[in-house]
Order: sequence, then C-alpha cells, then structure tokens
Amino acid sequence: MKNSFLFGLIVVSLGASMLISLALGRYEIELGTLWQLLVWKVLNLGSAPHDVTLLSNIVFNIRLPRILAVVLVGAALSVSGGAFQAMFVNPLVSPGILGVLAGASFGAALGIMISNSWLGVQFFAFLFGFIAVLAALGIAKIYGRSGAQTILLVLGGVISSSLFSALLSVVKFVADPYNKLPTIVYWLMGSFSAVDMKTLASVALPLFISTIILSLMGKYLNILSLGDDDAKALGVRVTWVRNSAILLATLLSTLTVVVAGMIGWVGLIIPHIARFLVGADNRILLPMCALLGATFLVIVDTLCRTSMSIEIPIGIATSLIGIPIFVFALRNAKKGFV
Amino acid sequence: MSFYEVQNLHFSYNEKVILKGIDVCIKEGSIVSLLGANGTGKSTLMKLFLGLLHPSSGEVILKGKALQHYSIKERASHISYVPQSTHVAFAFCALDIVLMGRIAFESWFKRASEADVILARSAMERLGILHLEKRTFQTLSGGEKQLVLIARSLAQGAKILVMDEPVSGLDYGNQLRLLETIITLSKEGYTFLKSTHFPEHALMLGGYTYALKDGYVLAHGDTTTILTEQLINELYNTNVMLKQTLCGYPVCIPAFVNTK
Repeated sequence: MKNSFLFGLIVVSLGASMLISLALGRYEIELGTLWQLLVWKVLNLGSAPHDVTLLSNIVFNIRLPRILAVVLVGAALSVSGGAFQAMFVNPLVSPGILGVLAGASFGAALGIMISNSWLGVQFFAFLFGFIAVLAALGIAKIYGRSGAQTILLVLGGVISSSLFSALLSVVKFVADPYNKLPTIVYWLMGSFSAVDMKTLASVALPLFISTIILSLMGKYLNILSLGDDDAKALGVRVTWVRNSAILLATLLSTLTVVVAGMIGWVGLIIPHIARFLVGADNRILLPMCALLGATFLVIVDTLCRTSMSIEIPIGIATSLIGIPIFVFALRNAKKGFV
Repeated sequence: MSFYEVQNLHFSYNEKVILKGIDVCIKEGSIVSLLGANGTGKSTLMKLFLGLLHPSSGEVILKGKALQHYSIKERASHISYVPQSTHVAFAFCALDIVLMGRIAFESWFKRASEADVILARSAMERLGILHLEKRTFQTLSGGEKQLVLIARSLAQGAKILVMDEPVSGLDYGNQLRLLETIITLSKEGYTFLKSTHFPEHALMLGGYTYALKDGYVLAHGDTTTILTEQLINELYNTNVMLKQTLCGYPVCIPAFVNTK
C-alpha cells in the first residue's frame, strides 16, 4: 500500500517535472500554451496555438529529445548503481566500481583527439567502457578461481579505473591545448546540450530495455546477497546472474557517457534515497531507483540550463548537489544502511 | 542401488591435499554425522556432496547418477543446504527468506506464485514458526534463524538436507530443540548429512557416523557402536571417559571433572 502510493507519487513528479522542463528555457512557454500544443499535436484535439511552427520546433525538436535523454540517463545511472550495490553487498559502490566510467572517459578523450566526428567519439567511449570492465573481470579471474569473488572484482575495478585514469591524463597531456583539450575537459564535465534526435534514437532503445531488464532482476540480486554457496545450493546460476547484471550495468553506464559525458554521484546517492524510502528489497528498490533517478536528473538538468545565462555542466551540478545529500545519507550508516 | 554416496574421493585446494580417498555411503532417510577436529575437511566434504566444489578425482553419486550430470535446478530439487549462519545484508522478512527456496522453480522476472507462498508458509507451519513470517530475519534469534533456514530447505522440496554445524551459536535449549527437529524430519523420510563438533550430539541423534582425520575416514558405522572412548580421544586429542548411563545412553565425561 505504502509502496504503491510512493510509486504513484514519483511517477506524477516525474511527469510534472518533464512538463515544467519542456516549458522552461531561453524561450519560456506558458504551461497553458504548452498543454494546448501537446493536446493538438499528440491527440489531434483542440486548436493549434499561436506561432505553432516555432513552438513545435522548440518543444519537439530541441527540448523533448534532451529531456527524454535525461530521463533515460538518470534511470540508467541509478539502476546500475543500485544493482552494483546489491551485487557487492556494499552501499558505497557506484556504477564506476569496475572501471567503466574511467574507461569510457578515456575512450571519449581519445576519440576527441584522433577523430573529428561525434560518432567516432561515441564509439570510442563505448568501446573503452567495455574494455575497462573486461580488464577488471580479467584481473579478478587471474587471482580467484573460487572464494572471495566480490573482493577480487573490487580490486580488479580499482586497478582498471586507475589505469584508464592515468591513460586519460596522458591523452589530456598530449592533446592540442587550443583545440582539443577544452573539448575533452568540457566533455568530462558532462552535458546534455549536444543531444539531438539522432543521438537519442540510437541509444534510447538499448538504454530503455537494459534498464527494464536490470530493474526486474531484483529477485536474483536478492539471492546473490546471501553469498555464492547459498545461492548455488538454492539452484541459482550465480556466475551467470552476476555476469549478466554486470554486462547490463556496464552497457547502461557506457551509454550514459556516450550521451552526456561524465555525470557523477547520481548512481551513488539515488539508490541511498530509494533505499531510505522503500527498504532494501531489490525487487522494489531497483524500479524505484529508475524512477527517482530520472526525476532527479530532469530537475537538475532544468536548473543547469535555466538558472544562469550560460549552461552549467551537469556533472558539476550533480556533484555539488550530491555531496551534501551523501553526507546526510551517511548518517544512516550507523543503522546499517537499512 | 545406492542412494547418495562418494567413492574414493580426492580433493585438493591450491595444491594442498585435503581429502585423500574418502568413501561415504548415505542411506535414504538416515542421519549421518561427520565428526572430526577443525580443519579435517568436514566442510569441504559437505560442499563436495552439495556440488559446490568439484572433486579432484572420484565422484558424488546421487540415485545412481553422478552429481555433475544433474542440472543445477534438478540438484536443488534433491539436495538443500542449511548453512551455519547466513549473513543477510538486507532487511528481508522471514517469509521472503523461506520463499527464496522456491527461486529455482519460479520463472524469470515473475513474482512468487500463490502456490509457492502456500508451500513456504506450510513449511514454516510444520516447524512451528509461522508466527515469525513478517519478522525481519536479522531480528530473529539464532535458533529461529536456523529454523527459518530449515523451512527454506523444506520449501525447496529437497529431501536431503546438508547442514554445516547446525547447532553452533545456539543456546542449550535451542540446540536440543533443533536436534529434536532433525529426528522428527528424519522419521518423515528426510535424509540428513551434518557436521558437528559435539560427539554427544551424534549420540543423541543416533544414526550413522563418519569420523574424519587428516583427510581420511578414521572410522565409520552405527554411531552408538563406533563412538568409543578411544575414538573420541584419538579424534580430538582429548582425555574423556565414555560412561554408560542406566538407560543405556552413553555420556562423555572429561578427565578433569571430579567424578568421585
């Protein structure tokens, strides 16, 4: 009962924040006019508002793709963060734990340096995100045939992250400081300003489907948290479940970097807030993470593009907002993170 | 045909030889106790029986078929594991834990079915813990946790329960109640393989005992016959006396106890 109410509330907030975000911007649209336009365009009812061409262009070609991308990225980061926290039975784990963000950042920087097309940059980000995670898994595999799998994975992730962070520094150091370096730096701060229909169309489906599948894996992630022996004796293919969850979470994280660069803290704090609201059962927690993360990022992105005359990089905003929330969440650490 | 057995089983862990040719034969419906000092490979042997580890040579045979030829789901329908202590990091209620026994038989992504919930609740009812169903697992006492984990095994539908030191960490009353539960379930046809640190508990349960030492089976047979003073002292490097009581049930008395 309480959970259904919460879910309903968050869904309504998400819808409301998306509508408000559609209305706000350099060219402000009144909510009434926006509603008239949406009803006319989507449902073919009522009459067209004034300046319908201009309005449709702003709403459907400029703001809507960006907002949809924000929703998907917010959900993806939060669900993969929540899934990693469940897998490692550790609430301090974030989606970057296996090196995916470091790898994807390095890939993007490398792409910016050596290729001139946006597509190339996205391809390199995607490629190296996966390479970094495979490196982490490989390192874990060298040392452990059985036993403390999770701790070895964390170790592999730390090594892989450090390696790709170092490689990123190398790229920054050798990149052309007038042309390429600023682009790399801005990319790493994260932004949705470059999102258009084309980017959205290419990543929307995998993001959406992976988020849904990962959200529905909660039952199996619950069992993994009992420990490997217990889970195996219950008839669960532990390695298979863990690898699929890692694969999906990696896919989600790299795609967020492809769309919007580095956006920190969302994958760490949203699962905390969600756990505070609905408890730790992953069957409920992960869908809640997705909705909450989407809502949070829509609000933050709207603030980023409307609060000042220039756009604030969203990665900076999420860190500045995330850190105080995290400090607050740590107060719950004494109680064992629920 | 044998029910559940291993023949000439060897196991090494990172070059270290742990089991050096073990034969164990378990009859259907029996209670088998594994005795031995710390580090003699009791837990390893049970993990081999569960299929969680793979033997270096030899194999585990269940109902005439090698264990590795069972699918993980089939295996879960025959054998279940009651761990010593389950570390549950998240706040699950007792019924959720018992329902986890059904996981292998549920379909992907679906919530537990009505039938599974009925099965889980009736398993809890059989052990007299249905009143705990809504309680958070971490808030239960050690004895209640063990009963919840046994209920999980019953819900899993497995007729063989492998228990790793089931009484460790329980108070005296809960130890006795747990042993009684084992006897009751064994009369209903359940088979038990359990390790224990207490020869007395093996004696209370009766059944069959395997005594392990240095990776070998030192002795095996009916518990009451093979558990002699000499065997206990050799296994644990102790000095105890085994005294018959008037009712024919022996008790262990350490030499340092003044029995005058």
